[in-house]
Amino acid sequence: MQREAIYQRLKAKYGFDEFRPGQYEVISDLLAGEDVLAVLPTGTGKSLIYQLVGSLLPGLVVVISPLISLMQDQVARLNYQGEKQVAALTSQLDFGTRKSVLRQLPQLKFLFISPEMLKQPRVLAALQQTTISLLVIDEAHCISTWGPDFRPDYLSLGTLKQAIGNPLTLMLTATATAKVRQDIVTQLQVPAAKQVVYSVNRPNIYLAVEQVASEADKRERLQQLVLAVKRPSIVYFSSKRQTDLIAEWLRSTTHLRVAAYHAGLTAENRFKIQQQFMAGELDVICATSAFGMGIDKADIRQVIHYHLPTNLADYVQEIGRAGRDGQPALAVLLYAPGDEQLVRNLNNLTAASPAEIQLDQQRFQQSQVAETDLSLVLQYYWTHGYSVEQVTTQFESRQRAKEAELAQLLTYVQAKTCRRAVLMAYFNEPAPDHTPRCCQLSGEPLPLAQLGLTASKAQSQAATIPWQQILAQLFLQNS
Amino acid sequence: MKEGAGLLAEYLLLLFTTAPRRPKALFNVLRGKRTVSTLFAGLTTDSLSLLGSCHGIPLVSFERATEQLVSDGWLKTTQPGYLQLTIAGAAAQQRLKDTLYLPTAWENYQAADVRQFTAASQLALQVVSEAVHQQRRYYPITTDRHIQWQVKQWFRQWQSPTLGQQIQQELTAFLQTQTTELATVFSGSLTGFNFPGQTEQQLATQLDRQPLEIVVMRKDLSCHWVAWLKQQPTTPLAALLRPLLKVTPVSSSAWQTYQDYRASQNLTLVAQRRKLKLSTVREHLLEVAILWPEFPAAELLTPIRIQQLTGLFSENPRIETWRFDTVQAAFPEIDFFWFRLYQIMRCHDAA
Repeated sequence: MQREAIYQRLKAKYGFDEFRPGQYEVISDLLAGEDVLAVLPTGTGKSLIYQLVGSLLPGLVVVISPLISLMQDQVARLNYQGEKQVAALTSQLDFGTRKSVLRQLPQLKFLFISPEMLKQPRVLAALQQTTISLLVIDEAHCISTWGPDFRPDYLSLGTLKQAIGNPLTLMLTATATAKVRQDIVTQLQVPAAKQVVYSVNRPNIYLAVEQVASEADKRERLQQLVLAVKRPSIVYFSSKRQTDLIAEWLRSTTHLRVAAYHAGLTAENRFKIQQQFMAGELDVICATSAFGMGIDKADIRQVIHYHLPTNLADYVQEIGRAGRDGQPALAVLLYAPGDEQLVRNLNNLTAASPAEIQLDQQRFQQSQVAETDLSLVLQYYWTHGYSVEQVTTQFESRQRAKEAELAQLLTYVQAKTCRRAVLMAYFNEPAPDHTPRCCQLSGEPLPLAQLGLTASKAQSQAATIPWQQILAQLFLQNS
Repeated sequence: MKEGAGLLAEYLLLLFTTAPRRPKALFNVLRGKRTVSTLFAGLTTDSLSLLGSCHGIPLVSFERATEQLVSDGWLKTTQPGYLQLTIAGAAAQQRLKDTLYLPTAWENYQAADVRQFTAASQLALQVVSEAVHQQRRYYPITTDRHIQWQVKQWFRQWQSPTLGQQIQQELTAFLQTQTTELATVFSGSLTGFNFPGQTEQQLATQLDRQPLEIVVMRKDLSCHWVAWLKQQPTTPLAALLRPLLKVTPVSSSAWQTYQDYRASQNLTLVAQRRKLKLSTVREHLLEVAILWPEFPAAELLTPIRIQQLTGLFSENPRIETWRFDTVQAAFPEIDFFWFRLYQIMRCHDAA
């Protein structure tokens, strides 16, 4: 397709004159019939790529997405943009609704689905009867990081892709090392896919690590940061419980407008918090990593990690939610001695000893139902004919990889020299020259004033509006 | 109760008495599981009004809450699978009744699909509010395609320049029948133009309640609203409710079986016509008997069976403790269906 026609569509559909870096290249490759693995930093509008391609090609765009909340966000966003023929096929739908979505496939333009749902025979059969214009693997790094020991159905995506007629494929991720990219194209059986890889570096995000002595000090430092730095801020936690507790504590001790966001909330509450955040009605969101994947808010000024992320790739993805407007933003990782143990504990949740693996194979051979999380994962391997030795090797190698990633993360945390250089080295990218606006060197204070990130006076929490007034505002014109 | 033990546990404590009850059966009542055994448990524990009121409650949360009540000394086990109030538990229950928000209209769960209506009305009110302010681009509160379709049909029918005003008047009239606190919860929870709406957590902070109390209040408000709309059948929102009203609390399949039985008076014939097993036909009739007090149980049982069973249990007024073994020993020709039907009839008589 002509360059001009693609630009015309961009203008007509989204009102933009220019693409963001990488978008045009990926779109034109796809329209030329090439499979593409696109590594584009957060905030470059990855979803626009498949939306635009979908609007130009006849047939259904199938988007493989890892989280139900993310799918719901993406459906809502397409609805917002006026696209009505869009649905998410999730385990939360009842049987009748699932059937009705499958019946409507020929009329749909976009279908969001998890790998686990895609492999269902009814779903596969329905998709085999449908013209698929594009298969999108969103958050494609999940193939490598979640596949082996957490979501093994990610490992079947290559076979499933063949089963639905081997459609044109787009693999999207914000962060992927060379090893992860290799895993993605191998698993999806697209060795010749074009790779469009942009730097993960976000120069406007100032990188800082604050070492604290204890949990109490960490809380105190967190409070200082959310008060001192320009808002809004996101604070990431690795547990739902801590998310709730610290949000409540910040609410009661700072008068900032704070909300907690995690997968334990209902869809309605998640919607409300996201919309309040987008509308500037919240100063701080305390969240687990689920928050932000579907959020497109340009003016987030600070991302704080209260707990360590699992690896540097996740870290880059999460801090990438700050400063999408290109203005200075701050990423602070709070570290207390021993924090790495929490990451190890999380890693251990998906570990399995050779004895456990052996025992579970016996369970499978005796046709007993898989009940534990581990059995459910291992079930995949037994039904696909793996031996105990192969699975043991797979699990050991995954644990070693996780331990290595933790070590790299700690190198970043403990770096005495330019942190950005450490980060870039992880992605095999050259480091830019260090400047005072790059990152915090050991022992330096945060240059908030120089970055223009000093907080202005906090907005007071909104007064209660009488119910009659809310009704009038909502339903009467000019009220 | 210890701090952090959870409001769910406190609400669950209200479901127990000093007589033993099966927590699993209560869980199934809350989830809305329509098996005869669950419905019968609901009938004997006078909790049928709660049927389906907590559709999504996870078993693990329920079990954790009841375990907490046991470890706090408020519930105790006297026989496996049963729990009952301790003396301290009974006192705590009384205190909670005075402080917790207690629902007053949940029986309306049997009058309409309240859950569906809540979701549809939430989107409908958002659509109206955005339309009043000429907004065409907004994030819908739900991405459920079925609800979106339902609301779209409704909006097409009712769209007019005065719809916003009509809705505002209608909601005002309804909320005037409620307390200021409930009206605040209702309006604060809405989503519309420039108003994402408040979460239960935020409303709880504002009103000095617990988030779960706000959840209970919102469910209760939906029930009150359903009852109110049934009295105002010509309003726009009553039209949204209409397809979700239930003719009877009985499932449509069981109701059909019952209608067929009324016509033919012959269970075997009904089974043949409905292409159902005789056991399923009997289960359907038991469901109707439990949920429809006008069910002609005595007619079905026949005077002779009633006489036999009445004689057998005349010494024991606690219907839920009757055992089928007793029947089998005395009258082997009476099977479980007749025994259960008789129990149901006596429960209704006693009510």
